[in-house]
Amino acid sequence: MSTPLLEAEALSIHTGRDILLDRLSFAVNPAEVLSITGAAGSGKTLLLRTLAGLPAPGAWIEGEVRAQGRRLLVTQDGALTPHLTLGAQFAELLAHHLGLDERAARQRAVAALEHLHVSAAARRLALYPHELSEPMRWRAVLALALAAEPTVLLADAPAASLDPTLRARLLDELAGWARETGAALVLSGRPEDGVTGPATRALNLDRGRLTESTPPTETAVNGEAPPPGPPILSVRELRVAFPLGRTWRGEDRWLTVVDGLSFGLAEGEILTLLGESGSGKSVLARAVLRLVPPAGGQVAWMARDLATAPPEAMRRARRDLQMLFPDPAAALDPGQTIGAQFDETLEALRPDIPAAGRARVIGDTLREVGLPDSVLTRFPATLAPLEAARAGLARALLPGPRLLVCDEPAATLSGVERETFLTLLLELRRTRRLSLLHATQDADTGLRLGHRALVLLSGRVVEEADCATLAADARHPYSRALIAAAEARRPALHGDPPSALRPPSGCPLRLRCPRARDYCAQAIPPLDEVSPGHRVACHYWDTNGSDAA
Amino acid sequence: MRSPATDTPWHMASRRLTAHRPAVAGLAVLAALALAVPAAPLLGGGVVADALSAGQGSLAFALLAGLIGGGAGVVWGTLAVALGQRAERAMMSLANRLMGLPLVLGVLLASGLAGRGLGLLAGMVALTAAPAVAVLTQGELRSLLRREFLTAAQASGLSGRAILRRHIAPNAALPLAAAAWTALPRALAAESFASLLGLGLPDGVPSWGGQLATAVRLGDPLAVAPPALLLALSLWSLCAIGDGLRAAAGGRP
Ligand code: SF4
Repeated sequence: MSTPLLEAEALSIHTGRDILLDRLSFAVNPAEVLSITGAAGSGKTLLLRTLAGLPAPGAWIEGEVRAQGRRLLVTQDGALTPHLTLGAQFAELLAHHLGLDERAARQRAVAALEHLHVSAAARRLALYPHELSEPMRWRAVLALALAAEPTVLLADAPAASLDPTLRARLLDELAGWARETGAALVLSGRPEDGVTGPATRALNLDRGRLTESTPPTETAVNGEAPPPGPPILSVRELRVAFPLGRTWRGEDRWLTVVDGLSFGLAEGEILTLLGESGSGKSVLARAVLRLVPPAGGQVAWMARDLATAPPEAMRRARRDLQMLFPDPAAALDPGQTIGAQFDETLEALRPDIPAAGRARVIGDTLREVGLPDSVLTRFPATLAPLEAARAGLARALLPGPRLLVCDEPAATLSGVERETFLTLLLELRRTRRLSLLHATQDADTGLRLGHRALVLLSGRVVEEADCATLAADARHPYSRALIAAAEARRPALHGDPPSALRPPSGCPLRLRCPRARDYCAQAIPPLDEVSPGHRVACHYWDTNGSDAA
Repeated sequence: MRSPATDTPWHMASRRLTAHRPAVAGLAVLAALALAVPAAPLLGGGVVADALSAGQGSLAFALLAGLIGGGAGVVWGTLAVALGQRAERAMMSLANRLMGLPLVLGVLLASGLAGRGLGLLAGMVALTAAPAVAVLTQGELRSLLRREFLTAAQASGLSGRAILRRHIAPNAALPLAAAAWTALPRALAAESFASLLGLGLPDGVPSWGGQLATAVRLGDPLAVAPPALLLALSLWSLCAIGDGLRAAAGGRP
């Protein structure tokens, strides 16, 4: 048994009034990866700072933290110094920690960046932080940490803002580094930040106390079989594009976000739209509700085309079609009380309900979503995330809709709160017999809740199947990567998504696909039927690729 | 948790304003000046009393020209956003180009050529302040129009006009007031500069710039100090309050 590199013994932190961390004891051995999960405000950041030897001012520390060698903390925002090139930041850090001169620092920097699969690493050193894409920025932040050769590396919610597919890969590479060099790695984050994936040991922090692994939370599952029936919503060849101005030749340039998508949604069905950010799922969700103008195609609700609907008909359709927004608090006007906004929604969408009857409808809906009447007099900024999510749900339910379009409806929630809200959503869907169109980047939630799923990439469907089939037998490399990332396995895609402004020829996944061959560059793969109801857009879906990275 | 009555957006905005220390100091200074300047003639003679009473002309003029310039800038920026993409691009590139020019020289030129009329001067000074306000206004409106609650209002079946009246206008009020406020220090600075060179307010209207010019001509350092200090103090307060207003308006929930 080797001696641990980092050890906490009966570590407590309190402010005199509150106990923030309560007698924590654990040890991290060389080459070990420890994950610490916890809800927002559970004390993860405080714990990591203390472990790094940077205690917060105004807090009393009892107990002991023992560490060997150099400790390094990567903070939550992963901040880089704004006005210095990457090379200069490496040079400064390495001169400080290791006393390296500029040339040695440069070599070390290139090695660290290459370890994290940054291509053309030497050239990137000339870039400033604002010139880096978000995934690249995180690689640079973590490479900086690796280059300094810490024996203990602590990372607070690393890469939490990235897509699961990219994050899982990056964390896996970080864990690989720890195994190779024998360093101790501590990763912290919310349960859905994917930090447990590469961990050899997982601890959970709850109200200042540590417990072994995550407690089994009750997860929302949709057990019902998909209801058969004709589609009530049908989308045909829908296209959404935004103008980008003119080229120097005077041609209009367009950014196509949704590219000729077709699907139908039956009464009571839950359809999942799965995709990374930038795949077009969120724009598609909004285009269905005509919240962004489509550039072509048709959206028909109950066999009536919405694209050509006059305002009055559109208003009637809005009564049936409601939306849950990714940030429910931001979807409420900060200047008005919740009650005023609910009233306004009812007035606009349900003119048949007399003004005197609105209060009763609002009261009933509030009880349904589990909010007290007192929220009506409050302003959005005063709501906690779960309250805001419930308020958003209540507003959507007020007019008595038949379809809810949900765009990452639980994005602001974490852990138990997230499952509570999703369970509520499913329950109300059952009692009110709603159809759901659920856009998400999290394959786990998406496939658990849905009946059927469309996997979206660059505004196109690349795989379509019912959720059980997709979970067990996804054929498209991109779908498999999304599912792997949700299970905190390493996804087999290389590199970062290409810029939407310069998509590759042929298959949109080509540059990241482990199975790509020359032909993939020549033709966009059509949707092929694998089995009834299961379709895939990949030239080589029947090649039994192991998808090894 | 605070009681809902004190959590209205206006309460929160005023809390953010009062949390901004320079703005509070600026408000205090400005309030003191607003009391002292009209009362100055009662103090009798002396350099300080003279300088204070000269503030009458400077401050009143800055208020007038600042209001015109700020208003024009807000209208300019709002129209640019309202009139569609092409007009927006043209109007904003004009504003940006004007901002890059030393417009104060235009003030000097106009009074030099056309004589020192109050109306002309106010118009020209307002013009120096308007482009910057227009740029701020357009930025504020663009970021407001991107916010999700407007999409949500659309999903709630509100017509474009109702969204404008009930959601856009109330949320734009404070940021646009903060944008327009920046015209005040600009107007004060432009007028003082012009008066210093003898091309500002007409003779007989006292101003800090004019007083400075006289003091410099007479080579009297003691007479330079009071108007210079008062001018600097007012400029600083106006800018500080502007920053505070922006902080108050910018606090996103
Ligand atoms: S078509 Fe080619 S590049 Fe695209 S997913 Fe299939 S194998 Fe990969």
